[in-house]
Amino acid sequence: MDLLDAIFVQPFADMAAAPDFLLQVLWEGLVGGVLYALIALGFVLIYKSSRIFNFAQGIMVVFAALTLVGLYERGVPALIALPLTLAVMFVLAVAIERLVLRPLVNQPDIILFMATIGITLFLIGFGEIIFGGENKVMITEQLYIPTGSFLFEPFGGFVSIEQKDLTAVIGAVVLVVALLVFLNKSKIGRAIRALGDDHQAALSVGISLSTIWVIVWFIAGLIALATGIVWGARAGVSFALEVIAFKALPVLMLGGLESVMGAIVGGLAIGILEKLFEIYWGQPLLGGNTEAWFAYVFALVVLLFRPQGLFGEKIIERV
Amino acid sequence: MKTAIKTAVLSSALALGVALSAPAAMAQEDSIYIPNLSYRTGPFAATGIPLMNGQRDYINMLNARDGGLNGVRLEYDECETGYSTEKGVECYEKTKARAVVTQPWSTGITLQVLPRTNVDEIPILAPGYGFSPMADGKVFQWAFNPPSSYWDGASMILKYISDGDLDTLSGKKIALLHLDHPYGKEPIPLFEKMAEQHGFEFLPIPVGLSEMQNQSAQWLQIRRERPDYVVMWGWGAMNAGAITEAVKTKYPMDQFIGIWWSGHDGDMQTVGEEAKGYKAISWSVPMPDAPVMADIREHVIEPGDSMVEDESQLDWVFYQRGLTISMMLVEAIRAAQDEFDTQTVDATQVRWGLENINLDEARLEELGMSGMIVPFKTSCADHTGHGGGWMLEWDGSKFVKVSDLITPDREAIAPLEAEKAQEYAEANAPWPTNEECSM
Repeated sequence: MDLLDAIFVQPFADMAAAPDFLLQVLWEGLVGGVLYALIALGFVLIYKSSRIFNFAQGIMVVFAALTLVGLYERGVPALIALPLTLAVMFVLAVAIERLVLRPLVNQPDIILFMATIGITLFLIGFGEIIFGGENKVMITEQLYIPTGSFLFEPFGGFVSIEQKDLTAVIGAVVLVVALLVFLNKSKIGRAIRALGDDHQAALSVGISLSTIWVIVWFIAGLIALATGIVWGARAGVSFALEVIAFKALPVLMLGGLESVMGAIVGGLAIGILEKLFEIYWGQPLLGGNTEAWFAYVFALVVLLFRPQGLFGEKIIERV
Repeated sequence: MKTAIKTAVLSSALALGVALSAPAAMAQEDSIYIPNLSYRTGPFAATGIPLMNGQRDYINMLNARDGGLNGVRLEYDECETGYSTEKGVECYEKTKARAVVTQPWSTGITLQVLPRTNVDEIPILAPGYGFSPMADGKVFQWAFNPPSSYWDGASMILKYISDGDLDTLSGKKIALLHLDHPYGKEPIPLFEKMAEQHGFEFLPIPVGLSEMQNQSAQWLQIRRERPDYVVMWGWGAMNAGAITEAVKTKYPMDQFIGIWWSGHDGDMQTVGEEAKGYKAISWSVPMPDAPVMADIREHVIEPGDSMVEDESQLDWVFYQRGLTISMMLVEAIRAAQDEFDTQTVDATQVRWGLENINLDEARLEELGMSGMIVPFKTSCADHTGHGGGWMLEWDGSKFVKVSDLITPDREAIAPLEAEKAQEYAEANAPWPTNEECSM
């Protein structure tokens, strides 16, 4: 009976007793969700255009953030280091297309996936050689990202909102809207979607595979940089940032690998739900750290009912 | 004809092989091989690099200044694990043939390697980490964790926050924010025992590997539970992540204390001034003006033989702790050389050396390292030494010492050590013990 009470009654009583705390939990969940969605977007874009599951997305976050901070440490002003980092990510996209993807055109998906593991290992070693493995401080203030906090006092309690978290949320929303407009309204965006639907058909109407791949990998690099800045501002820039890519996996399972909307909705859903579950059920009943598995279990339950994910395409193949 | 060519090629290859291996064999005879299962890459690289740099530079300094140790060269070799337990075990296997010691550098790797060292007869040196009951030399013949164990660290932190009287903690709430990993879980038995004995509430709060940099859930729990103290067993990015959240949650920094691996200058740079007042217990203290530092600069840094990229890092807690770790190993080798009257000691002899480290104030002074590490003495039965530690405080730009020497409550810890050591031996039976404590 106590257990039923702890599962079905107490959490809601706690929410009602401290609504300010609930608001704080929801805000933190939303911030986490936006960040998960951002990482998942990088995976989705590449998968959508080339059917490659990009294992290197996590290390691209590290590499982009390290390049930005590394350039600044070498005396380049922050506002110049930012476009320079984008230029580096563009060169990286060209190099990946020329040296890795182009020779592997028409190879099975698993070969391309393995190639992205190779890219990961290369970027780890290359990043270490150029920038070293030490923890670096993100140049938050130099990029004019506000660092204070807003304090609200609803329901007699308090809710604290970090300005850099708010900036991250706004920035991510702008980036996502821009991406959606780009993918749906621009010629290149339509070409990316066409390639995702059918490589052969897209090539037959004159869409250049290599150009699109460079553009897509560059956009993934841009997303990696945005992710790196936001996460780096929280706990420094180091190779530990690579670990956060794992957080995108359940988001992709939930939202579907080829859906931009799925990445956004999946990210937000997982961010908010895992936080609510951890605080009101996980910590009191299971000793905490349920965030390590909750998202996977939630995604699995959804997959039981929708095997293609929330927004994934239902593919029917003849056998 | 074909056979003749084949024979010629094979014999040339053989001759070349013999020629190439000859210098290696000579090098082996004239050196003592010290492998280090290092981690300069991966998610924990930021903490590993300064430690490994310190260890490497101390050995390089001895080789450059003294030509090694008592006329024999010290061959320092790193095998990269990336802090992965699987790779750590591979590195152990790869280096064990010539090793006089193994330095696993992770509690996870230590626990995996522990049973193998009994068979291979290679001592494990795990300074300030590993399984706390390794202190019991009668059960863990080949494992050493000087100068203080994790349980010693937990005891010292409790002693510090209670001003020496743990009964004053009665009714208080102490949270342990820890990495959800064998390392982070290590102090839990001691905290639970102390909570029961002294009437405080103990609240473990685990942090998963993928949550290290986003600990908002853990700090929301801290905001809700309002613990009187938060003790941290953090590692790598978890430290910076926790301190960032503590600042955000406005948790009082003077009630937030870390273990020695959570007191790293590199982690603190992210939060800087805002983390003023944060403390960490430590068995080593950086001493920029210590004579050994002058030797390090002269023989390693200036000739360009160090891997340190930024010289300001020479004053970091972790770099100088790396120096002290290599120093305690070298002292053990030196003791073994004296005892067995030989230059090139083997693993069994180094084990004897590790059981006979005597780093008192006078010896530290001779080594130019006075005040850099707590004085301690090991024995056959005591593989830790339990030297204690000092409380360090972050002043906004560096860690400074803010306490006298704090020693652990051995009366409380020793029975738990014996109990858990026995449990381990029984669970891993047949486990060889050394009741007489003789070689």
